[in-house]
Amino acid sequence: MKTYDLLQQTYAALSGNKVRSGLTMLGIIIGIASVIAMTAIGQGAQNSIQASIQSIGSNLIIVMPGTERGPGFQVSAGRGSAQSLTIDDANAIAANVTNIEAVAPQVSGRYQVTAPGTNTNTSVDGVTSSYTTVRNVEVADGSFISDQDVAGNARVAVLGPTTSDDLFGTGSEAVGQQIRIKGQPFRVIGVTVSKGGSGFSNADDVIYVPISTAQLLLSGNKYVNTINVSANDAQNTTQVQNDITSLLLERHHISNPASADFNTLNQSDIIATASSVTGTFTTLLAAVAGISLLVGGIGIMNMMLTTVTERTREIGLRKAIGAKKKDINRQFLTEAVMLTFLGGLIGVALGWLGSFAITKLGVLDTSVSLDSVLLAFGVSAAIGIVFGYYPAKKAAEMSPIDALRYE
Amino acid sequence: MIEVQNITKVYKTEDVEFSALRGVSFTIKDGEFVAIMGPSGSGKSTLMHILGCLDTPTNGKYLLDGKDVSTLSDDELADIRKNKIGFVFQAFNLLPRTTVMANVMLPLVYDGINAEEREKRAEKALASAGLDKEYFTHLSNQLSGGQIQRVAIARALVNQPSLILADEPTGNLDSKTSEIVLGTFQKLNTELGRTVVLITHEQDIAEHADRILFIKDGLLEERGTHVKRVANHNAEEETAGTVGSLASPSKIRVLPDHKNNKGEARLPTLPAKK
Repeated sequence: MKTYDLLQQTYAALSGNKVRSGLTMLGIIIGIASVIAMTAIGQGAQNSIQASIQSIGSNLIIVMPGTERGPGFQVSAGRGSAQSLTIDDANAIAANVTNIEAVAPQVSGRYQVTAPGTNTNTSVDGVTSSYTTVRNVEVADGSFISDQDVAGNARVAVLGPTTSDDLFGTGSEAVGQQIRIKGQPFRVIGVTVSKGGSGFSNADDVIYVPISTAQLLLSGNKYVNTINVSANDAQNTTQVQNDITSLLLERHHISNPASADFNTLNQSDIIATASSVTGTFTTLLAAVAGISLLVGGIGIMNMMLTTVTERTREIGLRKAIGAKKKDINRQFLTEAVMLTFLGGLIGVALGWLGSFAITKLGVLDTSVSLDSVLLAFGVSAAIGIVFGYYPAKKAAEMSPIDALRYE
Repeated sequence: MIEVQNITKVYKTEDVEFSALRGVSFTIKDGEFVAIMGPSGSGKSTLMHILGCLDTPTNGKYLLDGKDVSTLSDDELADIRKNKIGFVFQAFNLLPRTTVMANVMLPLVYDGINAEEREKRAEKALASAGLDKEYFTHLSNQLSGGQIQRVAIARALVNQPSLILADEPTGNLDSKTSEIVLGTFQKLNTELGRTVVLITHEQDIAEHADRILFIKDGLLEERGTHVKRVANHNAEEETAGTVGSLASPSKIRVLPDHKNNKGEARLPTLPAKK
């Protein structure tokens, strides 16, 4: 039997009962559409999380103080609480480690900030000019902290857009105004571009001051909280991270890496962790959608069994005029696969439209991957074969005599 | 040519054995028109299934065109059915909502013959079966009973089988339509030289054949009723007349036999054609 004839017969059989074929297909359509939409949403979430991690900086390695070490015993006062890093460490990294784009030491703290008529409590970061390179900070108005500001312990401040709005009101000019941080007067010289984000980890609710001024007037010591290092290429981040670790171990006279008084964090590690979390969620969503696909498959099997019973006499006739088992088997299997394949096609289109709608509504930038489309097609065809197999086998193995006599 | 040698068929259920055929032997020559006749339960359906290669005998040999088909597998039997046998059923068994042409072409589809050749052969078969050309594109459920049976006959003819098996072909038709359908079989036999085996339980239907094989309780009693037929090589309109002239002499000879059946009085048995 030729393929063309097989397809024509399949078309005739399926179009002979359009409503039933349509309803049966609906199960597969819903299943495939939800698999496509769910993976697209998961992929979108993953992309958005990765993008926000990328926005922290490029090829970033963060060095933070480790657990505080006492003589002979260990006082665990929390990670990052120790005072072990200095500006000299940052300068040593810049001088000795290769493949580095920029090094930006940072002193952080939360202080009460006042402007005429208002006050707020926000994080104040003492930084150097290279902070803009390392953490992707851009200035919208005015200028950022310069090397001269750091050298001269200048009392200048750059505000995040949220802080600027909190202190001076939305839309009003902040540059040139005076504010007080921990009671010390500072002049506002710039406002940064919004980085997005909200709530607890709002990257826009921040004030930048020169690191020297922060050490002198705010923290009152020579230590730094963070050293941000940016590698010149994503491929070099691991090498840079390893070099920093050995350099600082040497500088701090620590022989055992396990008892290091600092930690290094690689941005690509963070991304990998976040990706694996979102990946798990995507799989979970797809699995739930997959269950609906399974239900759709059972619907196909149910319909095919009904069809085989209804068309018993036709099967008998086909056998009488010379159809072999494999001809009958192929005929019913093709019908089942055609149902799931068409269902898959419509399902992919619907899932795609759904993802597109979600993107258009601005909920999330979804992304339909080619992989998920191919997978959906493969799965729908496989469902046709798996759930069409038993009814087709049943049809093929009918005795022509019994089938012809069937009432 | 069909040669059946002492075939038996035993149906087994869990605890009951039932012999539908208990040793049947006969020969049908090429170009013969034979009726197999018997009451229900006589084993004629079982015999028909075996002749049609839908089933195999429990014992005995069935030679079709010199080939023993009694021990073939299901798929080999399917090939024999495809190439050598054409079926006409009582219940017609056309595909519903499908055109006449598509129905007739169906056996050729399984033979892998291309569409152009299929159409040519189907049109020829339909013409032989005596269906008017205007109905070729009708759907099968738009036809009358007689027309449907002609389509079924065309379908049986289309693969040029050596044997046409008709199982109660007039069972669902009125007497007038039956005559037309039987006339078609006779025409196929006389004009195209097809071997036709007609299975029926009605004497007057069986009488359209050259020879009648009577079957009862799984055994054959060949009483051999030969009908001298008037050759008809002319156009279709003469068919009705031919059928009439065919039916009359046979009735004269056979009806008394039929009536006297219970009284054990029979016409002398004629020797079977060998």
